[in-house]
Amino acid sequence: MIKLENISKTYRTKEIETLALDNINFDVREGEFVSVMGPSGCGKTTLLNMIGLLDEPDKGKVQLENQEILSYEDKKTAKIRNQMVGFIFQSFHLIKELNVYDNVELPLIYRKMPASERKKKVIGALESVGLTNRMHHYPSQLSGGQCQRTAIARAVAGNPKIILADEPTGNLDSVIGHEVMEILANLNKNGTTIVMVTHDEILAKETNRIVRLFDGRFIS
Amino acid sequence: MIKNYFKIFIKIAGQNKLFTFLSLFGISLTIMFVMIFSMTIEKITGGSGPEKELKTIIFSERVKTVSTTQAKGGGWSISSCGKELCEDHLKNVKSADVISMYTGTSSWEFILNGEYQLKYKNQTDAEFWEIYNYKFLQGRPYTKEEVINKANLAVITNSLKELLFGHDAYVLGKTIHFTSMDLTVIGVVEDPPATAQNARGDLYFPYTLQTDQYSKYIGGYRIAFKTGSSRQFKTIRQEAREIVSRLDAIDSAYSVYLSGPYTQLEKMMVGYGDPEEYSRGNQIFKYLMFALAFILLPAINLMALNFARIHERGEEIAVRKSFGADGRVLRGQFLFENILMTLAGGIIGILLSYIVVALFGNTITLRINFFSTVPLTFSFNIIVFIAALIACLLFGLLSGYLPAVRLSRMKPAVYLKGGEL
Repeated sequence: MIKLENISKTYRTKEIETLALDNINFDVREGEFVSVMGPSGCGKTTLLNMIGLLDEPDKGKVQLENQEILSYEDKKTAKIRNQMVGFIFQSFHLIKELNVYDNVELPLIYRKMPASERKKKVIGALESVGLTNRMHHYPSQLSGGQCQRTAIARAVAGNPKIILADEPTGNLDSVIGHEVMEILANLNKNGTTIVMVTHDEILAKETNRIVRLFDGRFIS
Repeated sequence: MIKNYFKIFIKIAGQNKLFTFLSLFGISLTIMFVMIFSMTIEKITGGSGPEKELKTIIFSERVKTVSTTQAKGGGWSISSCGKELCEDHLKNVKSADVISMYTGTSSWEFILNGEYQLKYKNQTDAEFWEIYNYKFLQGRPYTKEEVINKANLAVITNSLKELLFGHDAYVLGKTIHFTSMDLTVIGVVEDPPATAQNARGDLYFPYTLQTDQYSKYIGGYRIAFKTGSSRQFKTIRQEAREIVSRLDAIDSAYSVYLSGPYTQLEKMMVGYGDPEEYSRGNQIFKYLMFALAFILLPAINLMALNFARIHERGEEIAVRKSFGADGRVLRGQFLFENILMTLAGGIIGILLSYIVVALFGNTITLRINFFSTVPLTFSFNIIVFIAALIACLLFGLLSGYLPAVRLSRMKPAVYLKGGEL
């Protein structure tokens, strides 16, 4: 489903060069739920960005669903992100000017999809995270857990095959964190491939596989 | 999608009130000036009183003659058109419906009952009364035959009639002494407004009564060509110019250059330029450039504000990119928001122009010509309104495009990383 071959990425500023990923090879099978662990700054988020085509490697190849990403042309990568990938971020990244409904609708408005169909999918996604009663609320009116559930609804609204979750429970207490994990586990049961970055060993153990990064390399 | 953009626009406009105020202030002030400027132009070129069909008339008012024997050393004159040029050549333009020659407004000073009086005279042909739609209160205009026969006749305005003969007087057949002539009044017309620049006057009489002192090509006349439709202007212009260019063959002593024929607006633009050098095209181009610069300055200001705010939108743009927005879509969104902002500013500007004209219109006087000024009044003209909207769109595009390009190229990973890469 996901194949990264010899991926390297270095971030450069005027003062410093940071090697974020160093010749990484990474495979994720369809339907797998993989946890990526490691200390801060080891390259976990960069790895997710590479998979989600939010960033371009200096070297190496990315393959999503047997489709090699040969060029990082804006229009092509945007289409792949829109149709194949759903993102969940640690700090939710909801658009604060839009209400819950509009936030969840976001990936769908970039598809040529009739409004009635969009509505059906948004309601469906909100139902799956139990937030239909909050659809007209704005992010500032929601708790952290509700924000993350909104973010999950947004990620799944377009039925992507891959969910990339960057510390989805990092800003939540353990009870809410487990609720979020439960939602992710259910999505995975229904066939969605999930790659999750986490610091939490307990949550990671609930996934199919754990990979560990250190200084831009896999150590297990 | 549009609804989504609109919601974002409303929210963002409400969130940063200072930015919104600064953006709207610049735009609305510019649009207000554009509106007042266009109202001024409309007031002057729209046609009023006898000039209500001004938009179907074009004018040649100036001519340049260059002596071919002294061409290198100077030997040129620029003035109004000569009597012979008008009578024998320009009046032969076939593509115009009516052609009139007249001197235009000039002052007439006299003492009446010991008091100094300043009035205006206009020496015209008979076609003048066909080109301009005067309202006759008494009598009639003079005819072609009367002009040819140098009949001592006059048409006067109602205000001159009241000054000379008193209120309610029937004045047809009475005599007015003008310089060394006694003119018999055959008609009284309603006073033309000050904005009727070409038709202005108090005393009108046949141009043949005062002979031109100048040479055959330059003199004291202007010529007006009237047609059924402005589409005919190009043909008239070509024909008039061809006639003038043929003069070189007839008279090898001079090269003759005619200004125009121009519309009222073009006439204002070209001003007193050299008829040999000034072409209608490059003058209009200059004014368009000036107008563009006028719009460009506040647009640059708004662009700077937009650039300064790009990073505020970083997270939103990164999220949109993550979920499938490509650069083109993001540029479209930002331009849409910016155009909405400029349109809002435009509407405020139009309202402001209404308010300014309503409150201060009487104190803002427009100098129509050497002789007169008129107060500014609000005129709603669909063309002016569309021009203001186009100005807003231009404003929105100019000030939004480059920031939109930069915004669409932002790397989402930078704004999503949360400090960790």
